[in-house]
Amino acid sequence: MKHLLGQIFRSGKFLFGFVIFMIIMLTVLIYPLLVEYPPLKTISRGTFLPPGIYVNVYDSMTFSESYTLILDNAATKRIASKLNAEDRQAMKEWLVIGAELPEDEIDVDDTAKLIDLWTTNFDPTVRLPGMTNADRNYYIRLTASLDGLLATEGATVAVANEDTGVLEEKYVIDQTTYVNVGEVPNVRVLPLGTDNFGRDVLTELIKAISVSLTIGFVAGTVATTIGLILGLVSGYIGGIVDDLIMFITNLFTVIPSIILLILISFSIGQEKRGAFTIAVVIGFTSWVWTARAVRAQVISLRNRDHVNLSKLSGHSIIHILAMDILPYIASYVVMALILQISSGILAEAGLSILGLGPRTTEVPTLGLMLNWALIYQAPLLGKWWAYFPVILIIALIAFSMNLMNTGLDQVFNPALRD
Amino acid sequence: MKVTRFTIVTLLVVVAMMAAALPSLAQETLPRNETLYFNGQQWGAVVGWNPYSSSMNNAMAIAQGASARVTMFESPYLYNMLDGQVYPLLANGPFAWNDARTEITFSLNPAAHWNDGTPVTAEDVAYTWASHVKYNTPTGAGNVAYIEDIGAVDEMTVVVKAKLDENGAALNPLLVESYLSANYVAQKAWTQVMEERVGEDATAFLADIAEDVVFSGPYGPFFADESKVVLVRDDNYWGQDASMWGKLPAPKYLAHNIFADNAAGTTALKAGEVDVSQQFNSNVQDLWLEDGLAISTYLPEAPYQIGASLPTAFFNLTGSSVGLDNVAVRKAIAMAVDYPTIIANAMTNQSATFEQVPRSLMNPTAGEQALYNHEAVADLQWVGNDIEGAKALLDEAGVVDSDGDGWREVDGVNLHYVATCPNGWSDWQAAIEVVAAAGAQIGIDITTNYPEWSVYQTVVTKSDEPLPEGYDIFMMWSNGAGPTEPWGRIRNMLSSEWVGMTSNWSGNWGGYVNPEADALIQAIPTETDPDKVVELYTELVKMYLTDVPSFTLMYRPQSFHTVNESVWTNFPFDGDGTEPPVPPMDCTDGWGIACLYNLELVNP
Repeated sequence: MKHLLGQIFRSGKFLFGFVIFMIIMLTVLIYPLLVEYPPLKTISRGTFLPPGIYVNVYDSMTFSESYTLILDNAATKRIASKLNAEDRQAMKEWLVIGAELPEDEIDVDDTAKLIDLWTTNFDPTVRLPGMTNADRNYYIRLTASLDGLLATEGATVAVANEDTGVLEEKYVIDQTTYVNVGEVPNVRVLPLGTDNFGRDVLTELIKAISVSLTIGFVAGTVATTIGLILGLVSGYIGGIVDDLIMFITNLFTVIPSIILLILISFSIGQEKRGAFTIAVVIGFTSWVWTARAVRAQVISLRNRDHVNLSKLSGHSIIHILAMDILPYIASYVVMALILQISSGILAEAGLSILGLGPRTTEVPTLGLMLNWALIYQAPLLGKWWAYFPVILIIALIAFSMNLMNTGLDQVFNPALRD
Repeated sequence: MKVTRFTIVTLLVVVAMMAAALPSLAQETLPRNETLYFNGQQWGAVVGWNPYSSSMNNAMAIAQGASARVTMFESPYLYNMLDGQVYPLLANGPFAWNDARTEITFSLNPAAHWNDGTPVTAEDVAYTWASHVKYNTPTGAGNVAYIEDIGAVDEMTVVVKAKLDENGAALNPLLVESYLSANYVAQKAWTQVMEERVGEDATAFLADIAEDVVFSGPYGPFFADESKVVLVRDDNYWGQDASMWGKLPAPKYLAHNIFADNAAGTTALKAGEVDVSQQFNSNVQDLWLEDGLAISTYLPEAPYQIGASLPTAFFNLTGSSVGLDNVAVRKAIAMAVDYPTIIANAMTNQSATFEQVPRSLMNPTAGEQALYNHEAVADLQWVGNDIEGAKALLDEAGVVDSDGDGWREVDGVNLHYVATCPNGWSDWQAAIEVVAAAGAQIGIDITTNYPEWSVYQTVVTKSDEPLPEGYDIFMMWSNGAGPTEPWGRIRNMLSSEWVGMTSNWSGNWGGYVNPEADALIQAIPTETDPDKVVELYTELVKMYLTDVPSFTLMYRPQSFHTVNESVWTNFPFDGDGTEPPVPPMDCTDGWGIACLYNLELVNP
C-alpha cells in the first residue's frame, strides 16, 4: 500500500491535480472557521458592489482618530477623479457650440478658468443641434459633480438638534484629514464584491464550493455504486442476467443523460428539489459507462485461474466478486469515481443554469450563482466578480480531478507507464 | 482540377439555397435612417392581424387596453398616463355626457379615413361594438355588463348608451368612458367580409388571421416571420391632416426583432440595434455611467421610469393559513419587510421608494396621488424595516413565543408561512427572498418556494376554494395606469366580487371580504363631486392600510421605456417641454404615440 501511494505521488500530473484540489478543499474547510458571515445574508442595498474595502463613512467621521497628512498631489487627484480629459474636451465642445465662445480662448488644462467659463455659460435647457437627451443628461451630471471641486476649505458636518430640529455644526473635516482604516470600527472587506441579491460573493462562493463538492461526491458515489454493482453482476454471471442488464444499460446509453436529467428535475418540481435530491438524480442518470466498462473488465477476469479456484472452493458469488474480482478493477473504479464527481459538479452547474437546479435560497451552489449572475445580466454589465470566480473554480475542480485521473491512469495502466 | 458531377451538383444546390435566401436578405436591409427598432414587446412569431382577437401575438400592431397601441388600429380617444386626460384621435373634440349621465355622445373627425380611402364613420364604431358582442370577444365580454349599446346618430356622430341600474343611473360610467380610449374601431365593410369568410362562426371569427384587414392607423403590415416583424408607414395616413398631427410620423418603418431573451435584447440595445427598449434592463444606469452609451430613460436619475402598477404580496385570507386571519400578524410582517433592499436589489432602483411615494392604493403618478388625503392616512403608512414596531405589535396582540423555541404562536401553533411567486420571475423572486428574511427577525418562520408559472397561475386564480398549502404569502400584480384608475385597481385589490370565481384573473386573490369596502368601491364610479371622490378614496386607503389584506412591494412602470439615441433623438423625457406631456410609453401606446411625430435623426 505504502509503495503504491509512493508511486502515485511520484506522478507529476497526479500531484499537481492533488495540490490544486487540496488547496480548494482546505479553503472550503478553513475559511468558515475564520470568517463567520452567513453565506446567504443580503448585506448590500444595491446590486453588484465592486470588490474592495468598504469603510464606514459615519464611523470614520465620528469615532476614529483623525490625522493630518500634507500630500502634494491630493487636490490634483481629487479633481482628476471628477473631471478627466474627456470631460474637459466635452465641456469645450459645448462652450464652442452652445455659448459660441472662440475655440482658442478655452484652455482645457486650466481647471479654474474652465469651470468658471462653464458655470457662467452652461444652460441645461439649451438644445443644440445633434445633441441627444443622453448628452444633455451627461452635461447635467457633470455640472453637479463640479460643484465645490475647487474649494479649499473643509466640509462641515452638522447634526440636527433633537429638540428643535435645527442643524448644529459638529465637525469640520479638512481636506488634509485622514483616518487609519485599521482604527475604523466598521470596515468590511469584500474581495469579490456583492452579487445581485447583495450577498458577499466570496463567502457565498466558499459555501457554494462545499455544497457543489458534496453534490458531486454524492452523485459520483451513487453513479459509481450502481455502475459497479450492475457491471460486476452482469459481467460475472452472464447469460440472461447479463442480457437483461445490458438491455437496460443500452437503453440508458442511447438517451442522452442531460435530457433524462432535465426531465426528471422538472417533474420533481421546485419545492422538492433540494441539493441532495439533485445529487441523487444526477447519480441515477450517469452510471451507464461505469457499468459497461466494469462489465468488460469482469468478463476478462472471470475465467482466470484464481477465480476458478475460488469457485471450486465453493465460495459464494458475493465473496468471489468482492475478494477475487474487485481488487483487480479497484484502480479503475477509483478513477471512474473521480471523473464521476467532476462530471456531477458540471451536471449541477448545467442544470442550475437552466433554472432546474436546487431550490434557490436554502444553499448556494456554483450553478445557482452562475444562473443568478446571468439573470441579472452580470456578463453584459461587466460585473466579472459575480460569475468569473465561479467559472474559474468549476474549471479548476474539473481540471484537478482530470489531472488526478490521468496521473492514476499512468500509474495503474502498464501500457502507459514510462 | 477535374470538375466532377458531384461538384456541379453541390454548386447548383448552393446557388439554389442562396436564391431562396435572397427575399429574406432583402428584408434585412431596411434603411437604418428610416427605421425605428423596438424590443421587449414581441416574443415569438406573429399569428395574424385581426383587431377583434386577443390571440394574434402581434404586439407591434394589436394591444387594446388602458393605453391602446395605436400604430395600426385606432381608438376614438388616446389616454395620457401623465396627466390622466384623454385626447381625441378618431374623435373630433371631447365627448359629452347627457345631463342624466346615461349616455355619451361624440363625433368623428371628418378627416379620418381607412387605408382604402373610405371615411371612418359612426357606423364603423357601432358595428365594431355589435361584432364584439355578437362573437363574444374578450372586449365584448368585459364591457357588455356596463354598455347597453353603441349606435350611430348620423354618419359622423356616435352615441354610447350605458347599462342602467334600478334607479335609472349608469351602472359604471367610468368603464363606459374608458371603452373609448381602450378599444379599436374596425371597418364595418371589412368586418362583413370576414364574417362571410368564417360563416359567422365565433371561434373562426376570432381565429381569422385577417391578412386583408383594413386599418386607419399610420402603419400597416410590411413583413413578419419568426425573426422579426416590420410595419411600414401608410403615406396616405389621414392623421397628416392639420386637424390631427399635421404631418406623418418620422420613421418609415417600425421594426421589432424577435430576441430569444432579455439578455439578447440588452446586447442589441447596447449595440445601437434597438432604439426603444421595453424590457427590464437591470442596473440600467450602468449603460450610460459605465459604458458611456447614448442611452437614457424617462427620468435621468432613479427611479428612471414612471411607476404605474403595484406588484403586491397577498396574504392568504381564505382560512387555510393559521394566524393570517389576525391583522396584527399581517401588519407585523408587512412592517418588518426591508422595502429599500427590494427596490435597490430586485428592481435595481427602478422603482420609487416608499419614502418618496408613501404606500396607499395609488400609483406614483401625480394624478392618482392627488386622489386621497395624505395627512388623514399618514399614521397608518409604514416604510418597512420596523422590526421593533412589528414585535411590539405582535406582543400587544398576544402573539408571543410561549414555548421558547424562537417562533411565535397562535393557539399553540408555531407561525410558519411559505412566501411564493412563479419560478424564473427574477425580480419577484428576489423580492420574495427579502420578505422571507423579515420573518425570522420578528419570530415568524417564513420560507420561500417557487412553483412553475403553469402551476402557480392555476392555484392562485382558483378563488372558489381555500388556497392550498404553500401559498400563505404570494405575489401578484395590480392594474397599471388608465382612465378607470385608481378605481379599477382598488376594485381588483379589495372587492369581494372576485371571491368564489372558478377562474379569477381580476384580483383579490387572497380572498379579502369587507362589505364596507365593497360599498365604497360601488359608490365611486357614479360620484361626480370631486371632493367626495377624494373622501371615498381616502376611506378605502385607510381600510386597506388598517386591514392589510396585501402589501405592495415596489412600484413598477407601465412600460420600461429605455431609448438609445444613436440614430433617433427627441424621445420624450421628463421636462421635455411637450404640451400635453408625451408619456414614456415606447412611442406606441395611447398619447405616447405622439413621440413618433417628434422624433428627429441625430445625423440627418
